[in-house]
Amino acid sequence: MEAATIAHEGHGHHHGPPEPNRSSRVEAQTLGMYLFIISEIMLFGAFFTAYFFIRVVIGDEWPAENMHLPVAVAGVNTAILISSSATIHWALESAKSGNRNGLKVGLLMTTLLGATFLAIQINEYVNIGFPPASNAQASIFYSLTGLHGAHVFIGLTLLVFATTRAFKGHFTEKEHRGVEIPGIYWHFVDVMWIVVYTTIYVI
Amino acid sequence: MTFAAKLKGPGWYRALLSVPLSLAFSTALVVGVRALYGWDPLFDGEAITTVALIAMPLAFLVGIGCFDYWFYWAAGKPTRDEDHSGHGAKTWKDYFRVNTDHKVIGIQYIVTTFVFFTIGGLLAMLIRAELAAPGTQFVDPNTYNGLFSVHASLMIFLFIIPVFAGIANYVIPLMIGAPDMAFPRLNALSYWMLPMAGIMMVASFFAPGGAFATGWTAYAPLSTEVPLGQQFFTIGVQFAGASSIATALNFLVTIITMRAPGMTFFRMPLLVWANFTTSLLVVIATPFIAGSQFFVLFDRALGMNFFNSANGGDVIMYQHIFWFYSHPAVYIMMLPGFGIISEVISANARKPVFGYRMMAFSLCAIVVLGFTVWAHHMFVSGMSAWLRVPMMITTMLIAIPTGIKIFSWLATLWRGVIHLTTPMLFALGFITMFTLGGISGVMLAVIPVDIHVSDTYFIVAHIHYVLFGGSVFTIFAGLYFWFPKMTGRMYDERLGRMHFWLSFVFFNLTFGPMHLVGVDGMPRRVADYAAEFATWNAVISVSAFIFGMSYLLFLYNMITSWRNGPKAAANPWRAHTLEWQVSSPPPLFNFDEIPTIVGGPYEYGVPGAVHGVFKKPEPVAAASGGKE
Ligand SMILES: [Cu+2]
Repeated sequence: MEAATIAHEGHGHHHGPPEPNRSSRVEAQTLGMYLFIISEIMLFGAFFTAYFFIRVVIGDEWPAENMHLPVAVAGVNTAILISSSATIHWALESAKSGNRNGLKVGLLMTTLLGATFLAIQINEYVNIGFPPASNAQASIFYSLTGLHGAHVFIGLTLLVFATTRAFKGHFTEKEHRGVEIPGIYWHFVDVMWIVVYTTIYVI
Repeated sequence: MTFAAKLKGPGWYRALLSVPLSLAFSTALVVGVRALYGWDPLFDGEAITTVALIAMPLAFLVGIGCFDYWFYWAAGKPTRDEDHSGHGAKTWKDYFRVNTDHKVIGIQYIVTTFVFFTIGGLLAMLIRAELAAPGTQFVDPNTYNGLFSVHASLMIFLFIIPVFAGIANYVIPLMIGAPDMAFPRLNALSYWMLPMAGIMMVASFFAPGGAFATGWTAYAPLSTEVPLGQQFFTIGVQFAGASSIATALNFLVTIITMRAPGMTFFRMPLLVWANFTTSLLVVIATPFIAGSQFFVLFDRALGMNFFNSANGGDVIMYQHIFWFYSHPAVYIMMLPGFGIISEVISANARKPVFGYRMMAFSLCAIVVLGFTVWAHHMFVSGMSAWLRVPMMITTMLIAIPTGIKIFSWLATLWRGVIHLTTPMLFALGFITMFTLGGISGVMLAVIPVDIHVSDTYFIVAHIHYVLFGGSVFTIFAGLYFWFPKMTGRMYDERLGRMHFWLSFVFFNLTFGPMHLVGVDGMPRRVADYAAEFATWNAVISVSAFIFGMSYLLFLYNMITSWRNGPKAAANPWRAHTLEWQVSSPPPLFNFDEIPTIVGGPYEYGVPGAVHGVFKKPEPVAAASGGKE
């Protein structure tokens, strides 16, 4: 996203750096986001390693007897998050085709769906009836869902930025990396939730 | 500028205001939450420290101005043209602000890391003073534990890993023909996160109960039970790790997307290859140490049970996750050095690097194999026994790509026209010392040997042969080599050689005997030892003090030469790589025109061979600008 606003044209004898050679077809910002996601996947990997040791290597029952996981509510929440992947995709397509209203509505809907997901999750924490300190299973439950929640929050922050910029008139058919790159991150957050939901709630 | 304007704008005034504010905020937050839940006491020092350790560095980063542009961008304000005001350094003051110039950031990194290297070295001197004779000399056992823990953590997280990032920051954009890094602002942020981590680790000495005393490995459940000082490590590592990941990501994107026309992957200097592979390791492995420290933090601060076996936690899990990062980390601390050595040896032996492609492939092989050996640190941990033999085999396999590199350097030297400059001396010292450290490494891979010498001074000897005789010698080689480029001045060659010979001799006298006392069973990480080890330890301590003083020669040489050494030519080593084809120090934006690469980087001795040519690029390059 960073260089998105560095203007390169129309400067005459602007004293600046020479135009760097583009040695790859991949955009720097997109590549940076993919690499960031790789390290994010590894961070989740560390948490899933802890999950594996606690659930499989130690082998205590899962979920522990004090843990009653609201599988159905979390399932609805999963659907909410997945649908937000569709709306961000729609927002990006609208940006590409110059449909400004689609862009704005798509981003707004994505943000609202993400916020709803987070609100439902916080509500789940409040009413779930066991604290993170009760046992190792509870610890990894809160840590994994909490780590994911933190990522939803980061994604939402990026989405709020993109939405603000969209409403202030930024992004064109040619220049829409500020929507595209948060979108990549948002898809990652969604896919990661499916993994978390499956491992924590379903199996 | 009025005082109010100074407080509003990015810089030290705002930073020095925002840090105490964040401390007040942390206190209010903790007291508020505790009041809400009705917990007693309201004022919990440990909780406040934990929150403040996270909030204060962030507040400093905001205050100093790391995020100003992004805040502006996020608010959707009108697009600004880049005016390059954050670029370059005219006075020394420009090194103390958020600067987006990779050359300034490189020097910021190098100077900062050497400050922490000096502190870590002084701690080592204290350790050797305590160990000079059996019994208690100066410090009690707990303080001693703090000394070696902070020493190791500073050397690893605040010196070796980031100093390589600093050298690479300076050199890589020049080497690949780029005007800067791909993300200059992220680059600045990566740098500024680093001193946060270092200050935190040093500050842990002032925590009640003393500095963190669990070694740099911070094994749980020890680390979840010791006093508050541990929190400084647990959180400090997160800042160092985030800095490391952000820089690595930046290097990868820069190397992939910003190479000069004609610079294919197999025309890249090996230093670029080395940092490319290192960065892959960083991006993939570093999140694991972040994870391990999160779990320790959760256990400590939130009473979770990751490492509480009474409640279903798993203690061995810490070591698996920690070493899954920390074994690759030894390559993060070594591969950039391999790159430096290839540059130095080739230029000083006037010969192409032998087996260039194998050098690149062996780096890649080390990256892959590096992820398959972590449990060789855990042979005595009580982990599943079946893991031992596979880990022993993979560990030995790594000696193959490493050996390829050693023999390729030797073959590069073979019949070369060898110039024994200071960087070359350090490079040759590196080859011999690292080979010794590598051999003791293969010994340690053998399970019965490892069990015998586990937690003895043999381990201390091995790690210092690979990290000092290995990594730090490459760092010295690199700094002497690029000193003329970075400062525009020549260092004193005579002092440089003296520095090398004193370091080389007293390095061996310090760490060589540790192999012997280690095999005889002297335990590491203990403030006292049996009387039978007294003679060797006295020798080691005296050597260590002289070894420490030899470093002062280096500091003196660097500081005085930077101030008034003779002016350096653009290319004092007659090297072929791109950074030597521009002035010393390089112009503000490195190149007036991006050069075109027409050959390999090391065609020494080939008449008329050039690596890059400086002419106006063909119009073909214009086709790439499409998306802007
Ligand atoms: Cu290892």
